[in-house]
Amino acid sequence: MTKTFKQAAAAATLACLALPALAADHTIGALFPLSGPNAVYGDVFMAGSDLAVEHINADGMLSGPMSIAYEDSQGLPQPAVVGMTKLVNVTGVPYTLSAFTGVSKAISTLGQRNQVVAVNGGGVGPDLAALGEYFWNVIPLVNLEVRAVVPYLTEEMGLQKMVLVYIDDPFGQAIEGELEAAFEGTEGELVGKFSVPVTAQQFSGVAAQVRSAQPDVVYIASYGAQQIQIVKQLRDNGVDAQIVSYSGYITPDALALPETEGMILTGQAVDYESDDPVTSRFVTDFKAKYDRDPTAYNVNYYNATLLYGLLAAALEAEGKEVTGENLLAKRLEMKTFDLVGGTVSFQDNGTLLSPIEVKQAKGGATETLTTVNVGE
Amino acid sequence: MLAIQLAITGLQTGALYALTAVGFSLIFGSTRIFHFAHGATFVIAAYFFYAAFGAGWGLIPGILASALGAVAFGLVLDRLVYVPIQRHEGSFFTVFVASFGVGIAVQNVIGMIFGRGFVTVNTSLSRSVELVPGVYVSPLAWIAIACAAVFLAALQFFMRRTHTGMALRALSDNPELVRTFGLNPRRIQAAAFAIGSVIVVPAAIITSATTGLNPAIGHHVMLISLAATIVGGIGSISGTMLAGVLLGLAESLALLVVDSQWTEAVTFGILFAFIIIRPSGLLGRAAAH
Repeated sequence: MTKTFKQAAAAATLACLALPALAADHTIGALFPLSGPNAVYGDVFMAGSDLAVEHINADGMLSGPMSIAYEDSQGLPQPAVVGMTKLVNVTGVPYTLSAFTGVSKAISTLGQRNQVVAVNGGGVGPDLAALGEYFWNVIPLVNLEVRAVVPYLTEEMGLQKMVLVYIDDPFGQAIEGELEAAFEGTEGELVGKFSVPVTAQQFSGVAAQVRSAQPDVVYIASYGAQQIQIVKQLRDNGVDAQIVSYSGYITPDALALPETEGMILTGQAVDYESDDPVTSRFVTDFKAKYDRDPTAYNVNYYNATLLYGLLAAALEAEGKEVTGENLLAKRLEMKTFDLVGGTVSFQDNGTLLSPIEVKQAKGGATETLTTVNVGE
Repeated sequence: MLAIQLAITGLQTGALYALTAVGFSLIFGSTRIFHFAHGATFVIAAYFFYAAFGAGWGLIPGILASALGAVAFGLVLDRLVYVPIQRHEGSFFTVFVASFGVGIAVQNVIGMIFGRGFVTVNTSLSRSVELVPGVYVSPLAWIAIACAAVFLAALQFFMRRTHTGMALRALSDNPELVRTFGLNPRRIQAAAFAIGSVIVVPAAIITSATTGLNPAIGHHVMLISLAATIVGGIGSISGTMLAGVLLGLAESLALLVVDSQWTEAVTFGILFAFIIIRPSGLLGRAAAH
């Protein structure tokens, strides 16, 4: 009797210990810049992804609680690879969020090799569309932004002579290539190109060079604190030409800078007024949680996280394991997803297509000038 | 015109580099402490000014707050980190690692308090005006150059004509002999930290209005300080000032011949050239072996 009791007790204990495994915890990874000059983006990205986790857990969408293991990429490839290695080999995530072009390119091979999905919602380098089937983008890439803004500048605003100031990394080089291509066959021309090192903070010399080129318009292709420093120092050093930049410039810090006033900016079009339940819930809860209006980056990382929830829930409903391989197969099978902004679908290269807005900075916010549908 | 413009720009940058580097040089030259957290002193001085000025305290109280923050940080760091380490072990590497750690901690604390994004002090003084066609100079450029000249002269006077200054120079030569003469090396070391920290204040304030700030700016400050100290000659205040101006000018004028992404390489090219050709630096004393 005693022996039977002990066996039963042991079996019951084991069963109890095993029970939580049925309600598996879901952990995904995220490689965001949490320190260094690009850390401001980390806060913006996390605002979106954290809200999505709250919604997924509140809805009981998955069999167990979901959480995000954040690793600090500093916006740099080398720390990002260290973080991704940890996420893949130690934490064992099937899905990770990524940001920044250089970071995304650096970690994509690890994702591909280990069949871990990496989803980018912040980097916009055109190369990101060709990083393999395990790398997805929930953000339209910058080639679309360049193709939208160059005709607007040359035809609508009559600004023909452009100078490019770009960061000397894969992102900046990609913009350089895109701008050269965009000007082909137009009346406009790229009259000067000045690349700046990733760590540079002094741009008064570059400003002198820009001024001597006498451009109608200056395109800034950098990110983080550096892009704001470039704009401020150009204005401080007598550059009065129209300044243009891409979606990465639209951060609270940059918009608060007086020198930002009047800048032309591009970014994905998101209909925040949409009455679909996903969008309206996101907008309402985001404002309640953070006491400010959401930006496209908030939307992208909310969508990237929600996408995991939708795919993992569908896999669990079929009794399948939530692995990177199965997540990829399920995405290809489901095709369309109800995310913030409406029902979306991925292109064959794993990138979402979205209309591009050309906007102007006014009074610390942006005002849409036009919306352009730029097809691939 | 571009060459003149770049030369003026380089002078402004060089003046800021000189003001930044000379504090590190003074501390390192006198105490042999590799004060990596000098970059953190710069960050604290800049953010204290930013906070005080932003709160509407005005210019003078802002400068005082900045100076107070910088000096207090230097003294507290010396007393609570460097002195205990020196008392127990005193290895150069331990001091360096501790200082590096403090620099990281300060960066994070500043980030927590002020946010991790870009901030700037808005003033019309940073706006350039056209002196002659094609040459723009901001009032802050003249202020930076004037500050560098005044502080160099004042520091030279202090080091040569005051007891504390002479004690600082003596400390760098022979701490034991200083003790023999009845002076307290710890107190002289504290003076080095106070002066080295306060001298960074003008550069920090001007930077807050020209290039703007982020909590990670200290690393760049430290790199420039290190390069200027080596190029100028370790322990030489005048050499460091001269090297700071030289590096700023070289960085700016290099744009005449190379693309802008190579300007930092020019700075470190000069550094390597001095290490190989003239290891004692511009005005440093040649080491005897």
